[in-house]
Amino acid sequence: MTVSTELTIGIVAFYLVMIIGIGYYGYRRTKKVEDYMVAGRNTHPVIIALSYGATFISTSAIIGFGGTSAQYGMSLMWLTVLCIVVGVIIAFICMGKRIRRIGKDLGALTYPELLGKMYGSKKIIYATGAIFVAAMPLYTAAVLIGGARFIETTLGIPYMTALLGFAGVVALYVVIGGLMAVMYTDAVQGAIMLVGMGVLLVLTYIYLGGVTAANSALDSMGSLVPSTLSSMGMTGWTSMPEFGSPIWMTVITTLVLGVGVGVLAQPQLAVRFMTAKDGKSLNRAIPIGALFIVMMTGVAFTVGPLTNVYFMDTVGMLAIDAAGGNADSIIPLYINSAMPELFVIIFMLTLLSAAMSTLSSLLHTMGTTLGGDIFARMKGVRYSIRANQIGIVVMMIASVILAVMMPGSIIARATAMFMGLCTAALLPAFVHGITSKNPSYLAAKWSMTAGAGGWLLWAVFCHLAESKMLGICHALFGVDSLVSSPWCYLDPLVVGVVLSVTILLVLIPMDKHKITHEDQMRLT
Amino acid sequence: MLGISDPWVWMTYLICLIALLFCGIYGYINWNKDSDDDDGKH
Repeated sequence: MTVSTELTIGIVAFYLVMIIGIGYYGYRRTKKVEDYMVAGRNTHPVIIALSYGATFISTSAIIGFGGTSAQYGMSLMWLTVLCIVVGVIIAFICMGKRIRRIGKDLGALTYPELLGKMYGSKKIIYATGAIFVAAMPLYTAAVLIGGARFIETTLGIPYMTALLGFAGVVALYVVIGGLMAVMYTDAVQGAIMLVGMGVLLVLTYIYLGGVTAANSALDSMGSLVPSTLSSMGMTGWTSMPEFGSPIWMTVITTLVLGVGVGVLAQPQLAVRFMTAKDGKSLNRAIPIGALFIVMMTGVAFTVGPLTNVYFMDTVGMLAIDAAGGNADSIIPLYINSAMPELFVIIFMLTLLSAAMSTLSSLLHTMGTTLGGDIFARMKGVRYSIRANQIGIVVMMIASVILAVMMPGSIIARATAMFMGLCTAALLPAFVHGITSKNPSYLAAKWSMTAGAGGWLLWAVFCHLAESKMLGICHALFGVDSLVSSPWCYLDPLVVGVVLSVTILLVLIPMDKHKITHEDQMRLT
Repeated sequence: MLGISDPWVWMTYLICLIALLFCGIYGYINWNKDSDDDDGKH
């Protein structure tokens, strides 16, 4: 489908002006550092829900994971199940309310500060901050690549121009308006994403002859699974891979567990709970948050596999072949080939919104971590808007450099890596902190060390996807992985979490000096 | 179900629908309840 350049540029220009205007509104409402960091702890439930969802769902989820599901099939819908059960029900009901209350009680303004204060430890603030500053640019770069690639293909703008322009616009409103600007723009972007993904689902099923006809057509394509994939356990696009096979390991341990459970350890999402005025606000946010998450991931993991039916009908090949072997190109190619002109533009705004909302939140989290949790604390001062603004600019530059250097088809992988590391290193200690009245610093410290260490060692020396890419294992031992199949497909997240949970459970009863509320309040 | 033969796949759609209903009912019932102040911590 050829899209009118003038119309597209006009709509995109209007969209950008609107987003920057909303960012400016956030800036005008930002009076003190608490506004900049946690949106004044007084955010409307609808904004919390849409901002949470729009932050969670990036171009990685739509383009990267949509493309991955086009390759591996609808088994990725288990990730949607985990996203709603873990990412909404458990996150909001079991964790969100505690995070909000404890964050307010301890006066915490960031995730590292919340975690550190729960254990009365500055070292934990620095360690958590170091993990974020080191690992988050990887995810941020993946988001930047996803956004820039789509702008490049849709608007015909050179890739580097798209990358820099995209990064520059988002950095502008995040730097000036802080979390208020981020959340207000997230809410508008979230609404656009809901419309875009809803229309995509409906148009896809209409085009393919209805729900049952489209699914049946995909169901009958099982014999067309490439031999390389069938030998690794893939059975079809509407069926689960063989239990324990390499593809089962990849789909379940990396994509489903890595992202589905990893959502609980995401700092940029946890901060959303700290922006709520009370528990009531979070209760009210739950239905909208749930609908949003199901619509985003569910549509991507349904339409992704169905693109195989479309491309088989139109060009006689599977989606991955039509996209020249690049999974990240499948969804953009499908949209540009199959959808009417107006929807191509709506979907472009959907992807722009997805990318901008996630990018703005990541930038805010990284910047406040670097500027506030690390630099300002090291200088003996607490948080200032200026320190955070400098932190945001520095982290944006680092992410752009990484985006230029990162290889092509790793959007979904980079996302899973970041979420895996956060989960393995932080989740057990974080859950212990918010659920225990007197948490154990000793257990948390060693749990975090074991989780991060286990994740890192498995990623560098065992998990083929990372170890091959990093090349360290090959340089030292002459092989890409120290373990054989299927263990070389077991995600580092599983190893890291098992280690961190085990260490935590063993050390909690052994620690005789648990943290008291006074210890927590002592740390400024 | 709806053209998908593997129950392990169509079951995911069913679970999502049930979870969505649960969230809607939970939000409705707890619309005015500020229930996070009484679970024992701080």
